[in-house]
Amino acid sequence: MSFSLNGESRDIPSDWADEPLLFLLRDHIGLTGAKFGCGVGICGACTIIVDGVATRACLTRAGDMDGRSVRTIEGLADGDVMHPVQQAWLDIAVPQCGYCQTGQIMSAVALLEQMPDPTPEDIDAAMDGNLCRCGTYPRIRAAIARAAEDL
Amino acid sequence: MRRRTFLAATAGGLVALIGAGAGIWSQVPVIPKRPEPDAETALGWIVHRDGRFTLTLPRAEMGQNIATALKQVACAELGADWDTVNVEMHSTSMPRVKATVGSESIKLFAEPLAQACAAMRDALVSGQATGRVAVTPRPVAELRAFRAGGLIGVSPEIAQGREIVTGAPLYAADVRLPGMRFGRVLRAPASVELASRPLHWNATAARAVPGFVALVEDCGPPIGKAQGLGILATRPGALDAIAEALQVEWDLAGPHPRSDIAGALDARLSEGALPHTVLDGTPADGPWDVDLRLDIPLAAHGPIEPRAAVAEWRERELAVWAGTQDAFYIRDVLADTFGLPTYAVTVQSCRIGGGFGGKTLCTVEAEAAALARAAGAPVKIQWTRGQEFALGFHRPPSSHRIRARLGGGRVTDWDHAQVSSHILFTSAGLPAWMQMGTDLFAGDPGVARGMAAPYILGRARAAYNAIRLPVHTGPWRGLGAGSNGLAVESAIDEAALAAGADPLAFRLAHIEDQLLAAVLVRVGEVASWGDAPTMVAGQRTGRGIACGIYKETSYAAAVADVAVDAQGHAKVTRLWCVHDCGLVINPDQVRAQCEGNLVWSLGMVLTDDLPSEDGHVVAETFADAPIPRLSEVPPITVDLIFSNRPPSGAGETAIVAGPGAIANAIRSATGHRPQRFPVRAGDLAA
Repeated sequence: MSFSLNGESRDIPSDWADEPLLFLLRDHIGLTGAKFGCGVGICGACTIIVDGVATRACLTRAGDMDGRSVRTIEGLADGDVMHPVQQAWLDIAVPQCGYCQTGQIMSAVALLEQMPDPTPEDIDAAMDGNLCRCGTYPRIRAAIARAAEDL
Repeated sequence: MRRRTFLAATAGGLVALIGAGAGIWSQVPVIPKRPEPDAETALGWIVHRDGRFTLTLPRAEMGQNIATALKQVACAELGADWDTVNVEMHSTSMPRVKATVGSESIKLFAEPLAQACAAMRDALVSGQATGRVAVTPRPVAELRAFRAGGLIGVSPEIAQGREIVTGAPLYAADVRLPGMRFGRVLRAPASVELASRPLHWNATAARAVPGFVALVEDCGPPIGKAQGLGILATRPGALDAIAEALQVEWDLAGPHPRSDIAGALDARLSEGALPHTVLDGTPADGPWDVDLRLDIPLAAHGPIEPRAAVAEWRERELAVWAGTQDAFYIRDVLADTFGLPTYAVTVQSCRIGGGFGGKTLCTVEAEAAALARAAGAPVKIQWTRGQEFALGFHRPPSSHRIRARLGGGRVTDWDHAQVSSHILFTSAGLPAWMQMGTDLFAGDPGVARGMAAPYILGRARAAYNAIRLPVHTGPWRGLGAGSNGLAVESAIDEAALAAGADPLAFRLAHIEDQLLAAVLVRVGEVASWGDAPTMVAGQRTGRGIACGIYKETSYAAAVADVAVDAQGHAKVTRLWCVHDCGLVINPDQVRAQCEGNLVWSLGMVLTDDLPSEDGHVVAETFADAPIPRLSEVPPITVDLIFSNRPPSGAGETAIVAGPGAIANAIRSATGHRPQRFPVRAGDLAA
């Protein structure tokens, strides 16, 4: 079994096939951007993009990624050049503790890929499943609007 | 693999058991030491080598972005370029620094850091390139970091911002070590105040789970009185299956005499004669114009990061990576627990994925250390969301009765009675016998925080009691100030209504403190207080105002607009806040803290509630104990007062005003005074 991870082919070891994709990424492959927050898909801290769709890595079986294309936050930037969503996050200083922000950013990237010019209502609907306890929500909205302009 | 009765496994891998029964753990807790920082200590935080500086951050970084602000202080004082100063998280190999609590990081640490950096700057100018710098503290007026200009009063890109947005490993759970195992300590689904221990379990079934490594009976000290059973696996996802297969039966004492938590608070409040006095006036007898009862429930911190730790033993030395607000206390507890000298234990502070007062005690760190000792390998433990709710400590529930009497349009008499559980003398850290001493002689300053209303109220009394509950309670953003502010600002609003006065003008008439008056007047201007609230077609709308002082040094006032539909669902449609914390190092991050406090304010009124049954927390997920969502948060305007007052704190200030403003807006929209929190739609239905 193998899948495409940020454009590179990766094997899925058989003993990891039944693990959540989140742990395959974090603890086997070593990409720690996606976070464990709740384990049941409610908080969104583990959000990654599978075949273009924002997906909860904690609820996704690793073995089910066979032949699929997975993108994580580690694949967004081009060297030191940030993806426009990452750059907007920095320009607006969205992160407080930062723990949920990789999931927020991946949800925002997926939103803007599907909907390059979202309305405020579109943003609220797309981002409502990504929780942030620090209360950075107003800045998340502002950063998505900024990134939409830059894209 | 070198621990006691740990048994070598047969073919196919490791191991089966375990330690030799539960350890004997000290009954006397380790008490946190919290030294005040000074310039001499601060010299140890800054190092110069070959034209570059390393600032070892003397605080935990948990989203207040203190790494950014203290780097600004250092750069300003050193006269150093931003890119020549590298900031590193501290470990316990540096001299002890105080826990990161109480919104003190600028208030207490900026000046010692500036003094040390000024001394470093002078030494470099004089040609000193090696050795230790001597510091003679100079007047604050001579410190460059204490005047606006240059890097003071601006907002550079946040430290670690690039690492956050690229997913670089920053948090304790991101630490990976060769051969690392994944652990969990199972505990009884019961009150942590009841003695419990594992009685029977199905080890055979557990061993059959792929990825199983070992069971560990000797799995560290109890949490409260709950002793655990440790499990180890080669993959984190196996832990759920192993826990399920074990089918642990628990030996459980009980029931707890106060398993009806709300009933226990109510009974104590009804008894009266509360022992701890905050305001010592004697209200006159007679009928009251305002008589409010407010009930504020147990609430979780709800950080998105469940606490995590990685532990590794190297012979008789222990290294732990933790996202903790007090690495030195964790170090001290681990040394005490495992019978080591403190120098043999190193705790590395990692960025915390949300603290809010809840990550101050040693829990998951001791679990990881115990399991790593048993495994003979590094172990990572990250609590499940359910463990965060069940085993952490929480904001205590509190019940308040506030009465006020008016005369000549002013409050002449005031009586605020509160029953809560403990905050600073937390039941999660102190056994009951020790808490009896603090109850007798000290009360609990955390419960008292913010209970002295910031108004001239005539004959004013405020008194409280804290009772130990079957759930552990302790510091939560703002400590008592959030709940007390909500109670006081609800009551003063009712007093204004009873007097037929404008709520802003009524407050001003009772305020002597000019800094408080200034934020209140200013928020009235910023929010156009006299205007109608934000309109929402077909809904009842209202506007509310509140203000307060945090720890005698920081000031906030807030205005909220709400809309309430026919079914009684309330939505905050707009928030304004004016904030004065003295000298502002980084205005954008002070604004960020205000925004966060306002979202917490919204949560306090509309969502925060950690459910319990029979005295134990039953929430498993964010569905059971929700936190505010993006769609629930309105546009927020924050206006800062800039002054040269010594810098105070910003991390918890606006929570003294935000909840009151929202509750008062609901009152204005519906005519119903919110008294049970979070407010229920049924209470507000048209």
